[in-house]
Amino acid sequence: MSDLDDFKATYFDECSELLTELEEQFAAIEAGERDADRLNAVFRAIHSIKGGAGAFGFSALVGFAHAYETLLDYVRDGRIEMSDDVVALCIRANDIVADHVKAAQTGEPLPADYGMDEKERFDALARGDAAPGDDEGGDPLEEFDIEFTPVMVNLDAPQAAAAGEAPVDDAFEASPMQVEPGHWEVRFTPHRALYARANDPLLLFRELAALGEMHVRAVLEDIPPLADFEPFAVYCSWEITLISPALTEAMIREVFEFVEGDCDIAVVQLGGAAVGFDIPPAAEPAAAKPSAKAMLAANQEPDPADLLALADDEVASLLDFDVAAPAAPQPAFAPEPEAAPVSAQDSFEQAPGLSFAELAETIQPSPVARPAAPAATPLRAATPTAPSEGEESGGNRSNGVQSIRVDLDKVDRVVNMVGELVITQSMLTQQMDETLRARYTELVRGLEVLAQTTRGLQDSVMAIRAQPVKSVFSRMPRLVRELATKTGKKIKLETIGENTEIDKTVIEQLSDPLTHMIRNSADHGIETPDKRLARGKSETGTIRLSAEQAGGNILIIVEDDGAGINRERVLQVARDKGVVAPDVNPTEEQIDQLIFAPGFSTAEALSDISGRGVGMDVVLSNIKKIGGSVHVRSWTGKGTRMTLRLPLTLAVLDVMLVKVGESPYVVPLSSIVETIQCSRASFERVPSGGQVLQVRGEYVQVIDLARRFEMVTETDPENRFVVLCEAEGSAKVALIVDDIIGQQQVVIKSLEENFERVDGIAGGTILGDGNVALIVDVQGLKTTIVHKNAA
Amino acid sequence: MTTLRVLTVDDSRTILAMLHHTLSNAGFEVLQAEDGKQGLDVLKTETVDVVITDINMPVMDGIEFIKNVRATGNHQSLPILILTTETSQDKRDQGKAAGGTGWIVKPFDPEKLISVIHRVVH
Repeated sequence: MSDLDDFKATYFDECSELLTELEEQFAAIEAGERDADRLNAVFRAIHSIKGGAGAFGFSALVGFAHAYETLLDYVRDGRIEMSDDVVALCIRANDIVADHVKAAQTGEPLPADYGMDEKERFDALARGDAAPGDDEGGDPLEEFDIEFTPVMVNLDAPQAAAAGEAPVDDAFEASPMQVEPGHWEVRFTPHRALYARANDPLLLFRELAALGEMHVRAVLEDIPPLADFEPFAVYCSWEITLISPALTEAMIREVFEFVEGDCDIAVVQLGGAAVGFDIPPAAEPAAAKPSAKAMLAANQEPDPADLLALADDEVASLLDFDVAAPAAPQPAFAPEPEAAPVSAQDSFEQAPGLSFAELAETIQPSPVARPAAPAATPLRAATPTAPSEGEESGGNRSNGVQSIRVDLDKVDRVVNMVGELVITQSMLTQQMDETLRARYTELVRGLEVLAQTTRGLQDSVMAIRAQPVKSVFSRMPRLVRELATKTGKKIKLETIGENTEIDKTVIEQLSDPLTHMIRNSADHGIETPDKRLARGKSETGTIRLSAEQAGGNILIIVEDDGAGINRERVLQVARDKGVVAPDVNPTEEQIDQLIFAPGFSTAEALSDISGRGVGMDVVLSNIKKIGGSVHVRSWTGKGTRMTLRLPLTLAVLDVMLVKVGESPYVVPLSSIVETIQCSRASFERVPSGGQVLQVRGEYVQVIDLARRFEMVTETDPENRFVVLCEAEGSAKVALIVDDIIGQQQVVIKSLEENFERVDGIAGGTILGDGNVALIVDVQGLKTTIVHKNAA
Repeated sequence: MTTLRVLTVDDSRTILAMLHHTLSNAGFEVLQAEDGKQGLDVLKTETVDVVITDINMPVMDGIEFIKNVRATGNHQSLPILILTTETSQDKRDQGKAAGGTGWIVKPFDPEKLISVIHRVVH
C-alpha cells in the first residue's frame, strides 16, 4: 500500500506541474497564440492528469478530464473553433480539474454535480459541431463511462505472472465461452508488415500452444530456390490444428490481436471429428532426406525446402539458435537485404566443412529459416525463453533518466558545507604570507588549484538550486485576470525575462510579495476604463512584470501605467495613523515608500482585493527576510514602478574587502563600478555643504564611510580610496574608504538574526582570519543620504 | 534466466513510476525516458528487449519515436508496445502503421501488462 501512496505523491506532484503548465499555456492562448503546439501541450497535460487519475481510481476526476479532453481533441482537429468563449470555458475547466485533483489529494469529495454545467457545455459543443453520424459524435460522457471505468491496481500481483508459465490473458475468461469440444484449424499467412512490426510467428505459436494441444505444419510449397530468394518477401505460411474442449474462436483470434491486418488468418472449426491434423512428411522427421552435412560434403547446392525439412534434432538446434538470438535482425528487414541470400549461398559453396551450427547461422537471415523452425516441433505450454544475449556486466547500465529529484534539504546541506569550504579556503590563502609563499611553492600551487576548484564547486551547487522565475510569474496572469474581473477594469499583463534564474529558496519567498504588489497595482494603480479614457490613455491598463539579473542581484520590477501614487492622500493617511509625525515633511520619494509602512492602507472602503491593511508591509518584511530590498517610484498620472532587488543567492557573495578606520568592511563586488585613488579623484563642493565626485562628466554623491559609521581614521586623505558603486536604477554613489585589501568570497550572515538591524549595513560575514566584517548596504546608504539631503 | 530489459517512454512520471514498479517486481530491468527523443538516445547506447512507449509526448511523440526506431539499422525486430488510454482505434492504428508491435491500454493491470510483454518477447 505504501508503494501506492508513493505513486500518488508522484502523481500529485506531477499534477501540480501540469496545472502550472496549463496556466502558462492558457495565458498565451488568451493572448491570441492559438497554434497547434499550445493546444497539443494543453491536451497532453489533461491527458496525463486523466491517465494517472484512472490508475488510482479517481473516477470523478477521470470523468471530468475525459469530457474536457474530448472537447480539446475536437478543438485540436478543428471540429470546434477555439473562440474566446471556448477559451474562457477551458480556463474554468482548468480550475475544476485543479479542484478535482485537490479533492482526490485531500480525500474530501466535491459535490456530485461539481463541474456538471461545464461538462454539459463540453457535451453541447461536441454535439453542436460534430457532423451528424460522426462516429465520435455520441455523448462524450457516456463514452467515458464505457471507456474509463477505473481499474484499481494491485501492485503486488505481477510476480506470479512473471514467474513462469505462459500467462493466460484474463480477457479469455471474460469472452463468451462456447463450451463445445472441438478441433480448430487455423491457416496463418503472415505478411511482410508482421515482421516489420517485430511480431514473431514463434511467439504466436507459443501462445496458441498454451490454449491446448497443437500441431503445426509449415506450408513450404511457395519457397523458391535459394538463388531466387527475394529478401523482403515472405514465403512461409502455416496450418495449425488446435485441440481443446473449451476452445473458442474468440480465444484464438485474441492471440492474433496484435497482428490483425498484418496477416491472413482463417479460423475454422472442424466438425467435431476427433481426427488429428495430418502432419505432412515435410515437417516429419525425415531420415530419408540428406542431412545438411551430407549435402555440403557432396558440395551440392542445397534446396532451401530440403534444408527446412531437416531432421528433427537439427531443426531443434536451429530453433535453439533462433530463440537464443532474438535481437538478430528479422530476415525480411535486414539493413542490407541483398547481402543475405547471396552470402548464404556463397558460404555454402565455399565452406563445405561447415558445422550445422555455422550453417544455421548462415541461413538464419533468410526469411523462411526462422519462422519455419517451430513447424516441426509441436509446441505445448511453451515457457518463455530468456535471451542469452545481453550478458554484459550490469555495471555500466545507465537507465536513461535525464534528471533526478533530490530532497532540497540535501542540497541545502551541500550549499552550507560549500559555504564553509569557501571560508576555509580563503582563510588558508590568507595565512600564506610572502615568506611561506617563497618557501613552499608546491603548497601555493595546491592552494591555487583548491581555490579554483572551490569556486567551481560553489557555482555548480548554486546552479542546482537555481530555477527560472517563470514558476512564480506563471501564476500571475491568472491573478490579473481575476482582478480585472472583480474590479471591472481592463488590465493586460506583460511578463519579461521569465527565464531569469534565481535561487530556489528566494523563489519560494517571492510568490506572496509579488501577488501583493500586483494586487496593489491592479487595485490602486490602474484606473477604470472611463477614467483612463478621460485622461487620454488607452482603455486597457498594462502591468509589466519583469525580471533581470544585474550583477549579483536579481531585479524584479512591477510596473503599471496607472494613476501613480496619490501622495497627498498617502501623507494624510500616514499622519492620521501616526505613521508620520505632524511636523515632519517627507520628500516625495519618502511618501512613496510609506505604502510599505506597517498597518498602512489607503483604500477608502476596504476593497475585496488589496486593501486589508496587511498588504505592502508584508511585501517589505518578506523581501527583507531574504536579504532583498524594495523600492517604489511613482509618476503622478503616469504610473508606478516597484522594484524588488534580490540577492542571486542567499549563500555566498563576491566582495571587495576594504578598511574603514581599523575595521574591515566588505562591499559587494556586484555593485562596484571602479575604484579610484583619492589623490587622483576630482571632488567638488556643492552649495548644500556636501561633496560630489566628478567622474567622466557625471556628478556622483560622496559618502565618507568613516564619517558615516563614526569611525576614527588617521589615514592621509590623499591615500584613501574612492569605491564607485552603482545603486538602484544605475544611480551611482562614491564611498570613501581608508584602504582596499582585496577581493574574496564571503558567506553572508544575517545581522538581524544574530544582532539587530543597523542602517547602512546589509549583514555580516566571518573572514578567513576569524574576524567579523560588516557588509556595506550600498543601496541603503544611498537612500538615507538622499533623504537626509532632501529633508 | 537473463533479465529482460525494458525501455519505458512516457512523459508522465506517474506512469513511469508505476511501470517501473510493476516491471521491476516482475524481474525486468527497467530503463526510462521522458519523450521520444530521450528514448532514441537511450537506444543508441543500450540494448533492450522490448520498448513500451506512450503516444502523446512533448518534443517527439510516440509515433515519431517508433518510426525512428524502425528506421534505425538494428532495431527492426525490437518489439515496441504502445501505451495508450485511447481505446479508439485510430491512435492504435497510427502506432501500428509506424511499426508498433502491440499495445497496452491504460490504466493497465499489472498481470495483463506482463502477459502482453511475454506475448511479444522471446
